[in-house]
Amino acid sequence: MARVKIENLKKYFGKVKALDGIDLEIEDGEFVVLLGPSGCGKTTLLRSISGLEKVTEGKVFFDDQEVTNLPPKDRNISMVFQSYAVWPHMKVADNIGYPLKIKKYPKDEIEKRVKWAAELLNISELLDRYPAQLSGGQRQRVAVARAIVLEPRVLLMDEPLSNLDALLRVKMRSELKKLQERLGVTTIYVTHDQVEAMTMGDRIAVMKDGKLQQFGTASEIYHTPANIFVAGFVGSPQMNFFRMRVSSEGTKYFAVGFGMKIPLKGDPRKDQVVMGIRPEHIYDQASGSTQEVEAEVYFVEKLMSETIVHTNLPEGGRLVVKIPGDVSFQEGQKTKFYIDLDKVHVFDPETEERIKL
Amino acid sequence: MMVKKILFWFVVFLVAAWFLTPVVFIFLAALTPAQDYYNPHKIFPSHFTLDHLYKLFFVLDGWKATIISIEVALISIAISFAVGLPAGYAMTRYKFPGKNAIRLSILLTRSIPLIVLAVPLMVIYMRFNLADSVMGVALAHTAMILPFVVLITSSIFSGISVEYEEAAMVFGLTRFKAFIRITLPLALPGLAASAIFSFIMSWNEVFVASVLTLSNRTLPAHILNTAMTSPDYFKFAAGMIMAVPAMIFIFFTKKYLVSMWGISLK
Repeated sequence: MARVKIENLKKYFGKVKALDGIDLEIEDGEFVVLLGPSGCGKTTLLRSISGLEKVTEGKVFFDDQEVTNLPPKDRNISMVFQSYAVWPHMKVADNIGYPLKIKKYPKDEIEKRVKWAAELLNISELLDRYPAQLSGGQRQRVAVARAIVLEPRVLLMDEPLSNLDALLRVKMRSELKKLQERLGVTTIYVTHDQVEAMTMGDRIAVMKDGKLQQFGTASEIYHTPANIFVAGFVGSPQMNFFRMRVSSEGTKYFAVGFGMKIPLKGDPRKDQVVMGIRPEHIYDQASGSTQEVEAEVYFVEKLMSETIVHTNLPEGGRLVVKIPGDVSFQEGQKTKFYIDLDKVHVFDPETEERIKL
Repeated sequence: MMVKKILFWFVVFLVAAWFLTPVVFIFLAALTPAQDYYNPHKIFPSHFTLDHLYKLFFVLDGWKATIISIEVALISIAISFAVGLPAGYAMTRYKFPGKNAIRLSILLTRSIPLIVLAVPLMVIYMRFNLADSVMGVALAHTAMILPFVVLITSSIFSGISVEYEEAAMVFGLTRFKAFIRITLPLALPGLAASAIFSFIMSWNEVFVASVLTLSNRTLPAHILNTAMTSPDYFKFAAGMIMAVPAMIFIFFTKKYLVSMWGISLK
């Protein structure tokens, strides 16, 4: 088990900057999720940590040892691949035991550890089968068992759940997380699924265009997103964004536009700001410090446990509202909604960075 | 429904007959005694004889030519795979500048008929003392087989997920060992099939072998030279000797040959 430190990591494929200066420090035993849209560099980052990808510039440390130029086999890591990569010409037991066999463990020790890993993943009865005789979910368990059998310093997972069906994915999510907690192994997990990231990660590294956007706990990412990209990427439905004018009355500042006048907590020192409001922070009843806004219902998505209302604002612009429970709205109906002023986000329209007020 | 079925089997029969009839007649004639063969009232012989095959092999030195053929084929396969296998692997696994140009130029070598190369080759061979030698024919056959090996092995390797290899590397093997222990066993059926196909390519090649050799003839070149000046039943016996090994090979490897070319049958 190890701390992982990444310093100014760069990886160029020709002119494409897959990684453009990543700095990241991961604690011993931590579960870190690399989250981002496809092409953001998260898999390249994982592969650079594994050594499968040679980096253009920068350094990777495990504890205090620099591993930047070590081949993967000397890094004492293990990995779960998106396609599982369970070797088809070996039985399950041989697959799980292979990393130990390579490292020349004695036979009885291999057997003992294979048994231990198989029990941990509930695949003891599959040990004599070939991968072709397994379902996708079972194959994945084999891949995970193979990855933990050796007690790696760092466990890397590249979208391990993306090939499973939805129900199994939810189940494996909690199982993997529990397993990681039990083993206490430093884990780096790549996904594009924000739900996986939020539920599994001790901390989440949100990436875009080869750059780290924000690195923090799920709560930090959700409540104080560092920029417009992070704010929009995490949360469903997506956060509402409005570009608004800033006006001041004495020492009070307001963001004005789209039929709204939202008081700001301080001076943004900008003429214009981008306001971000999550759909779940807009209510159908006034409560505490809320700001009323009138909108016309355009489209309603009824999920029963919640109701998602798409509305048009009087001065143009679309406002999406998420109301808990099964609430009735008529399309075309004019309704009042209430924006929670404590949960409004303010961003700089040029840099797209969060403005702290 | 019934009509469709009958039509289907009729077409199947036609196609089978189209290919099999000549083969059957070659085999029949090869096994027919001389007097029956020249009897115009007999299509089927009164009895079968191995006499022609025996004479072709042992009186006309066919066995020697067979051994040379096998030697030539094995040497060309060895060279082609020693060079072509790594090349095919590189074509699949690595990105490098000029990759498509190389792929195309490999195909282009196949556009030049070997017979065109044979005469200049002969001149060069005489200079290097390779004329009329097993090695000389083997090298010429390598020129024919190598491009095929590169393209086919590259398609075989591309069918094996690179993640198998990467997993092996992560779990403690070098790239080379990962190739030997993971990729190679998975590719083996396809590689064996392409080796056998290469063998047949060399086995069947006649023009270059005839031009480049005089005393060290491969079987087809030998047959062209001797059997063709012999009675007809010898020609058919020679045809049978040529066809049988190829047919046996293809029969046992048909499954892999089909998958090697990327065609899928149910």
